[in-house]
Amino acid sequence: MRVCITLLFVASLFCLNALNSTAQTFAPPPPLFFTGMDGILISDGGMEIPIWGYGLSSNGYITAPGPLLEYETGDEVNLAFVNNSAESHTIHLHGLDVDQANDGVPTTSFIVIQDEVGAYEFTASEPGTFLYHCHVTTTLHLTMGMYGMILVRHPGGVLFEGGPAYYSDAPLLFSDLEIATNLDPVQSYPFHDIRPDYFMVNGRSGSQLETGSSGIPGESGTIISCPNGESIALRLGSMAYTLTKLIIPSELDAICYMSDGRPVPTPFGVEELDIYPGERFTILISPDAEYDGTIEVQSWDMVNREYVHSNFVRVRDAALNIGDPQIQEPLSLSISPNPSSAFINVNSRDGRSIEAWTIYNSSGNIIDKGFSNYHSMRIDISILESGSYILESINGDIKSRARFVR
Amino acid sequence: MKNYIGLGLIIFSINLNVNVCAQDTLWINSGEWYQSQDTMSVLRFNSTAIFDTSNVAISTDVDSPLILTVINTDIEPHNFDIYGMWSFGVEILPSDTTTFEIPPLAMGTYRYLSSDQRGVYLGLSGVLKVGLNMPNQFHWNLSDCMPERMDSISSGGELLDEEPYVPRYFSINSYTYPHTALDANGYVTMGLGDTCTISIVNSGFMDHVLHFHGFHVEYLSTTMQTSRLGWIKDTIPLKEGEGVTLLLIANQEGVYPVHNHNLIAVTNSGFYPGGMITLINITP
Repeated sequence: MRVCITLLFVASLFCLNALNSTAQTFAPPPPLFFTGMDGILISDGGMEIPIWGYGLSSNGYITAPGPLLEYETGDEVNLAFVNNSAESHTIHLHGLDVDQANDGVPTTSFIVIQDEVGAYEFTASEPGTFLYHCHVTTTLHLTMGMYGMILVRHPGGVLFEGGPAYYSDAPLLFSDLEIATNLDPVQSYPFHDIRPDYFMVNGRSGSQLETGSSGIPGESGTIISCPNGESIALRLGSMAYTLTKLIIPSELDAICYMSDGRPVPTPFGVEELDIYPGERFTILISPDAEYDGTIEVQSWDMVNREYVHSNFVRVRDAALNIGDPQIQEPLSLSISPNPSSAFINVNSRDGRSIEAWTIYNSSGNIIDKGFSNYHSMRIDISILESGSYILESINGDIKSRARFVR
Repeated sequence: MKNYIGLGLIIFSINLNVNVCAQDTLWINSGEWYQSQDTMSVLRFNSTAIFDTSNVAISTDVDSPLILTVINTDIEPHNFDIYGMWSFGVEILPSDTTTFEIPPLAMGTYRYLSSDQRGVYLGLSGVLKVGLNMPNQFHWNLSDCMPERMDSISSGGELLDEEPYVPRYFSINSYTYPHTALDANGYVTMGLGDTCTISIVNSGFMDHVLHFHGFHVEYLSTTMQTSRLGWIKDTIPLKEGEGVTLLLIANQEGVYPVHNHNLIAVTNSGFYPGGMITLINITP
């Protein structure tokens, strides 16, 4: 029913646009997402592994994991996707406690068949780290790559109301796959004996974690860059079939503040952390100046409790960086709503005014710029084409950047 | 009207939980467990001499010992343990009856079991609830099994260490999805605004992890991960042998799954969906 309503709605918008092009300004955004079953993940050894997944409509390709979704506490979200693949799919908003209609479970919610659009509505009522994934034949669709991470940030640059302040986010999504299943999903039965043999952090493995080259256009490695004295929020989540065990060097002074989108009653120091499939944790790290080391990400077989693999995520003082980009974005800027089709509200979280601003497209070209003398402002982005953009603000010699999606 | 519904739910719950009290009797019964392609010889702790596929849940108070009589109708001796807490160090011989006293335990949920090889592999393991007084109570006894191993044990054979463990069935109170909807002890039904406790033990051979759709739940007790007391989560890992008590507040209507997020465990002999999936049904 919801799918039908959405389709009618989309169809009616098309008619309106044909009659009056100015009506486009008032139209809801087109589906942010699409699903596909024709993606390729290039392994650390150069193997082309077939994947299914989600992609941004503005990009036109799917990835595993899917795009990071970012919201602010209290945002009213309408998340739509068009299913461009032969199998039916859904989006389950893992941990967001949405109502039954928007839960993404075929038998209790709704399913989105080929060429149709599905829309999910929810309020991002709690800050934290969440996940999303397809809930159709879940055992297969997840190992094929249909998952991603959701961040709900709290205003003011703190993890949650009354929680600690921090500088930036470092999302780390742990997952794995069984290569034989991805190569031949039609013959993948039986599902009780899926044994992952490829292990990823943000879709990358082994040397890719520093060099990139996982087949995702425009992406580089996963290096956590820490300005001296600042706290970085590790946003940790697992969509794996294995137990993920993190070994965190004591020099990072890691403190766990949240799990599954709720503050833990007593924050605690952590040097080893087990993350089971579906769990999430938010941990602040505060490395010393000139720190350069790694967090070990171990994968353990859940059935026989055997260690199977390690990946390593590099953490280093930003002053040691010789290149960019890094995976996190400075949090001194907040942008909401994000994604948006009409306007964005930009706030300087450290209270400094935004003297000048520039918008870059994904190719690094300047698209728009302006001046301000306030710590918050609104920018009209309705004229921009759909896509991912970087907003850069300037205050004296301090530059801050944040990403948004039109 | 709401009160009548609540009273009805309480009576319904009492009738179906069949919990024994601070002094009662358990029978060790043998029988068969049917799952799609397989028929497995199993053992169960039941509250009568009649075989039932689910191990009975035991309830007792916080401050009082539990006096338990166990009647062993199996052909082999068994014992009785509270996992990681207490062990009755004497074998209960075949056709024998033994009475013993379990010392007082702290509020929470515990796994009770017969820890001998035959008892463990054939499923003698259940839920012990201590000091839980909420009107709405549910329990989930999680288990995983490999029929070939059970066949070997039930026929008196030996397990070979080099054989990998490949479980094919994953159950809650000996029910696998979609039959979990028939289990009144596991299928959570409440009215909007009600609360309940869910007592969970992991009777399997591996860790499990349950994900709640639609709700976060609070840890009231855990026998292994005590640093998590008071945490509010939607994804709950259970280590082998662990007992956990969760508090669920029914703050929205609807039907929501709870399932193992190790997704091999939501299958029946490899077929999806199945295994460790149950439902929460919150009515207006």
